[in-house]
Amino acid sequence: MTAYIVRRLGQSLVLLFFISALIYVVINLVPGGPFDLLRLNNPRITQSMIDRLNRLLDLDKPLLPGEYCPLEGGTPQPCRFDQGRYVRWMGRVLRGDFGNSWTMQTGVPVLKMIGQRLGYTLLMTGLALVLALVIAVPIGIYSAVKQYSGADYLVTAFAFFGQSMPTFWTGLMAVAIFAVALQWFPTGGVRTIGSEGDIVEALGRLITFGKLHPELSGQEWKLIGDGLRHLALPVTILAFFNLAAWSRYTRASMLEVLRQDYMRTARAKGLSEKIVILKHGLRNALIPLITILALAIPGLIGGAIITETIFSWPGMGLMTINAIANADWPVVQGLLLIQAFLVVFSNLLSDVLYAVVDPRIQYA
Amino acid sequence: MAAVGVDSGVMQSTGDAIKSRLEHGASIRPAGQWSLVWRRLRRHKLAMAGLVVFASIVLLSLVAQWIAPYGYEEMDLRNTYAPVLAAGAEGKPLHLLGTDGLGRDLLSRLLYAGRISLGVALVVTLASTLLGALIGAVAGALGGAGDSILMRLTDVMLTLPFLPMVLVLSSSLRQYARLQEFLGSNLSVVIIILVLLLFGWMGTARLVRGSVLTLRGQDFVAASQALGASRWRIIVRHLIPNSLAPIIVAATLGFGATIVAESALSFLGFGIMPPVPTWGNMLNEARNSPLEYLFTQALSPGLCIFFTVLAINFIGDGLRDALDPRLKM
Repeated sequence: MTAYIVRRLGQSLVLLFFISALIYVVINLVPGGPFDLLRLNNPRITQSMIDRLNRLLDLDKPLLPGEYCPLEGGTPQPCRFDQGRYVRWMGRVLRGDFGNSWTMQTGVPVLKMIGQRLGYTLLMTGLALVLALVIAVPIGIYSAVKQYSGADYLVTAFAFFGQSMPTFWTGLMAVAIFAVALQWFPTGGVRTIGSEGDIVEALGRLITFGKLHPELSGQEWKLIGDGLRHLALPVTILAFFNLAAWSRYTRASMLEVLRQDYMRTARAKGLSEKIVILKHGLRNALIPLITILALAIPGLIGGAIITETIFSWPGMGLMTINAIANADWPVVQGLLLIQAFLVVFSNLLSDVLYAVVDPRIQYA
Repeated sequence: MAAVGVDSGVMQSTGDAIKSRLEHGASIRPAGQWSLVWRRLRRHKLAMAGLVVFASIVLLSLVAQWIAPYGYEEMDLRNTYAPVLAAGAEGKPLHLLGTDGLGRDLLSRLLYAGRISLGVALVVTLASTLLGALIGAVAGALGGAGDSILMRLTDVMLTLPFLPMVLVLSSSLRQYARLQEFLGSNLSVVIIILVLLLFGWMGTARLVRGSVLTLRGQDFVAASQALGASRWRIIVRHLIPNSLAPIIVAATLGFGATIVAESALSFLGFGIMPPVPTWGNMLNEARNSPLEYLFTQALSPGLCIFFTVLAINFIGDGLRDALDPRLKM
């Protein structure tokens, strides 16, 4: 087991190295650098100003290790070896420094920006995950136990419908119906305009017993209520999409278990059908769901780009799309690298957990 | 000699039987694999319904220029956000589904948009299936180091976060001046196709590699080798038909996924740019319209995506059952 984990870790590190290089190179291959837009918007910016900016941000250095011939004041200087921007970036990242934002919050460290948004994303995606699981697992179990019944067909049809409705449409329709026409929920954002603080800050205050955000004392529950009203639509939309796939998955897993010999043995012993299904069936059927949970980690932290965009939810997903639109390269690089790391890590985690939980799995 | 005579006699009478049956219009050839598949697919009601819906959507988009009441760029600024069944300008046809923020006829735009959305998805699906099959077959056939390299490349591509990566690529490719000159207004369409192709081949590659590896060691391959079949015959008669089933299912479902991906990109403003209409960028325009018009503007493009993808998912499900009767869920 240890040997297996060590080998998988090694493979993951190699994979991450290639991914980091690919991410960095792809982003940095944009022609004209990040200042094309700047010059387009302001014709008074001269080439020499852009050269100076490039030098300031190290953008005149080669991408990969190689010759560097500085041009200072227009006169060529002697060439020397340079470690390259990728190596320099990776070195800093390994020491925990993802660089500073260029355009979104100029000069603010990328990690700090992520810290400001992570709570919002975790709250939204976490609630959606719990909601989807709480509904999907019982539905999946039920439709497997009653295979080919009317309820089973209903669940299957529902899953097909859910998987064919992209979130960018269901999100818009939810806003149009529940926020605009019925006015049950707000159209987006985190809090009602004019209120001090929001749900994430209120939760932070509750978790730290008042150390964080002392100014919100006494208003926590009001703010949480307001936040939940804002969360209702995006969380439902996100959960709805996962619900479809996960109920199908639970159903398939339960059907597999129902066929096993130990189920027949349990019935032959004279156990009641309820105990057979819940104790012998359900427990084994839940094992494959570990995979779903582990693989949900990247989305949990990386956020939902489309849902956050529709509901103006200030989390990691909205940050990603804004960083791309504003050519904020350090932020984009940081977010993509973290996301790739989470994908690799969660794949590893799901394989290892599976092997731990199910002793029948042979790992070599 | 006598034996031969008897044999040829039998042949003769079988030949007569065939001839007489042919004359009665019945087929004597055993049903081929594909007609069996078709027969099984026809029994799958949902797949047939999906096929009918999908075929009608394709047909309507193909004849868009003849049946659309308006051109997709035809504006009427005095008649913006018109409701369903609104009257057109004098001497102009009815706006069956109303108009958008520039007074353009929604129904006509939906028809033209279908052409772009379906066309892009078709090109991307065909190209990425071919590319994936090629990479997977080469990896499976090479084995050893070549196989390792290709499969690690597949892993890398699968690990890259899809949506952010596609957004980055499509926004940066757009800035290549050379590409802009060369492609003009088709730029955003070509970029979307390239980007989705780049991130669309990995599933097929893994499938094909897997089936090449398992099929190579199967008894029926060894048997046909023993019967003296050439390598080419084995590939064409055994390897390809046997690995085709999962590829066809994956490509069908991939077609639906591509429509969603293109719509998502266009919805976010990183995909196909107006004035070329797609269902996705119509939803983007719906989102940017005043809130009271959101419902009417977003309903119809979304329904088009929904029905197309639902139909394709049903077809894919039916094909899965029809192509592989052993795999019954």
